Amino acid sequence: MFKKLIDNAASKSPWLFHINAGSCNGCDIELVAVLTPRYDAERLGFKLAGTPRHADIVVVSGPVTVQSLDRVLRTIEQVPEPRVIVTLGSCPRSCNVFKGSYAVAGPLDKYVPIDVSIAGCAPKPEAIIDGLALATKILKEKREAMK
Amino acid sequence: MDIMNIDIMDILMYAVYILIFPGLLFTCVFGLWLAGIDRKVVARMQHRKGPPLAQPAYDFLKLLGKECIVPDGAARITFLAAPWLGLASLVVTVLFIPIGGLQAFGTGGDTVVILYLLTIPTLAMILGGSASGSPFAGVGSSRTMVAIMSYELPLILIILAVGKAAGGYGVTFSLGQITLFQYLTAPFILDWRLVPAAIAMLFVIPCEVGQHPFDVGEAETEICEGPLVEYSGAPLAVFKLSHAIKMFVMTALFSALFLGGVTTGMLWLDIVLTLAFCSVVTLVCMSLLHAISARFRVEQLFKFFWTVVSGLALVSLLLVWFC
Repeated sequence: MFKKLIDNAASKSPWLFHINAGSCNGCDIELVAVLTPRYDAERLGFKLAGTPRHADIVVVSGPVTVQSLDRVLRTIEQVPEPRVIVTLGSCPRSCNVFKGSYAVAGPLDKYVPIDVSIAGCAPKPEAIIDGLALATKILKEKREAMK
Repeated sequence: MDIMNIDIMDILMYAVYILIFPGLLFTCVFGLWLAGIDRKVVARMQHRKGPPLAQPAYDFLKLLGKECIVPDGAARITFLAAPWLGLASLVVTVLFIPIGGLQAFGTGGDTVVILYLLTIPTLAMILGGSASGSPFAGVGSSRTMVAIMSYELPLILIILAVGKAAGGYGVTFSLGQITLFQYLTAPFILDWRLVPAAIAMLFVIPCEVGQHPFDVGEAETEICEGPLVEYSGAPLAVFKLSHAIKMFVMTALFSALFLGGVTTGMLWLDIVLTLAFCSVVTLVCMSLLHAISARFRVEQLFKFFWTVVSGLALVSLLLVWFC
C-alpha cells in the first residue's frame, strides 16, 4: 500500500531543473511564463528546483554548444532516479539554425536518451505544459518500474 | 518517580504520546496541513490557482521514492543522520507544548527545554550541510547560524515577558502554569502590555521556520537551498517534513503563550480549536509576509531582529516588570 502511495505521488510533485545549453533565451522565457499566474504550472505540483539533486524532470534548452556539453551531461548525471529528460524547443533535437556550426556539439540525443521533446521555436506555454504533463506520466511509469 | 512504579500501562501511554498524539503522527499530519494551506493561500494572494492542499504530502511521498545520493566528499554518517536528529528533537518539543489542555511532559522548566530543543533542528541542518562538503551548503550553514543568533535573543525576551506576566512575583518557566493563568484570567494577546511581545513573536516564527522573507540560509534562487543543496531522496524528505512540523511547533507555541487557556474541556474540540488557531497564525505571520515581501539580506535580517523585534520584546518585558 505504501509503495502504491509513493508511486501515485511520483506524478503529482514533479520538480524541474532547467539547463540552458546555449539557448537564445527565448525558450527560457517561455518556461518561466509557464510558472506565472496566467498559466500557473504549480497547480500541477511543478516547482523550479535550485539544484539537480532535488529535480525529477530535467529541461534542456539550446543546441548544446561544445562548451556546455560536458556540463549538461554532468548535471543530468546528478539527478537522482527516477528522472525524465525533456527537451525544450527545436534546438536540442535538431540544432535548428545553428546546425553545422563549429561551436555546436548537439543534437542532445547523440549523448543521452530523451523522453519528451517539446517542439517550437519558441514553444507556446500551452505546448510546454502539455509536454510536462506527459513527462509526469513517464515519471510515474519509471517509478513503478523501479525495484 | 520511582523506576519500579512504572508499569506497562505507563509505558504504553508514553509510547502513544510519542508516536501518535501529540507526537509523531499527529504533528506530521498537522504540519503538512499547515504547509499546504500556506502554499495555497500564497498562490491565491498572487492570483494563482495554487497547488492542491495535499501538495506537501505528495512532495514528501515522492521524495521517499527517489534515489538517495551521497556525494563522494561527504561525511557519510553525519550526512545521513542529521535529518533524523532534527525530526526527533522536533517531535520531542511537541510533547512539552500544551495542545488543547493536554501537555504530555509537563515540567517546571518547559520554556527553557523548548528553547534548547528548538535550536537542535536548525543545528542538524547546519551539521548536515557542513557534512555534505558543498560550498553552497557552507555558505548556507554560516547564514543559518546568523539567523539563529538573530531570533534567539527576541525569543528569550518574549518568553521572559510572558513568564513574568504569568508568574506574578517571580518568573515562571512552566507552560502549564502560563496556560492555566490565561485560563483563569484572559488570553495574553488581550493584555496591552504583552501586545508588543506578541507582534515580535509573529516575526520570530517565520525566521525560526525559515519562511520566505527570512530564509537567508535556504535562499533557493541565490544559493540553491543552502544546507540542503546535496540532499536527495529520503533524507531530503525528512528535512522537508521537519520544516512542515516546525511550522506547527512554532504556531502551537504562539497559541500556548498568547492564546492559551481557551479550553472547552472536550479534547477533540480543543484539538480543532488549536488547529484553527495555528492555521490563522500561519496565515498572518507566514503566508502574508511571504506573498508581499522580498528576501532580506543577511545583515539586514540581523539588524532587523536585534533592533525592531528585540526592541518590541524588550518594551513588553519592561512594561510587564514595572506596570
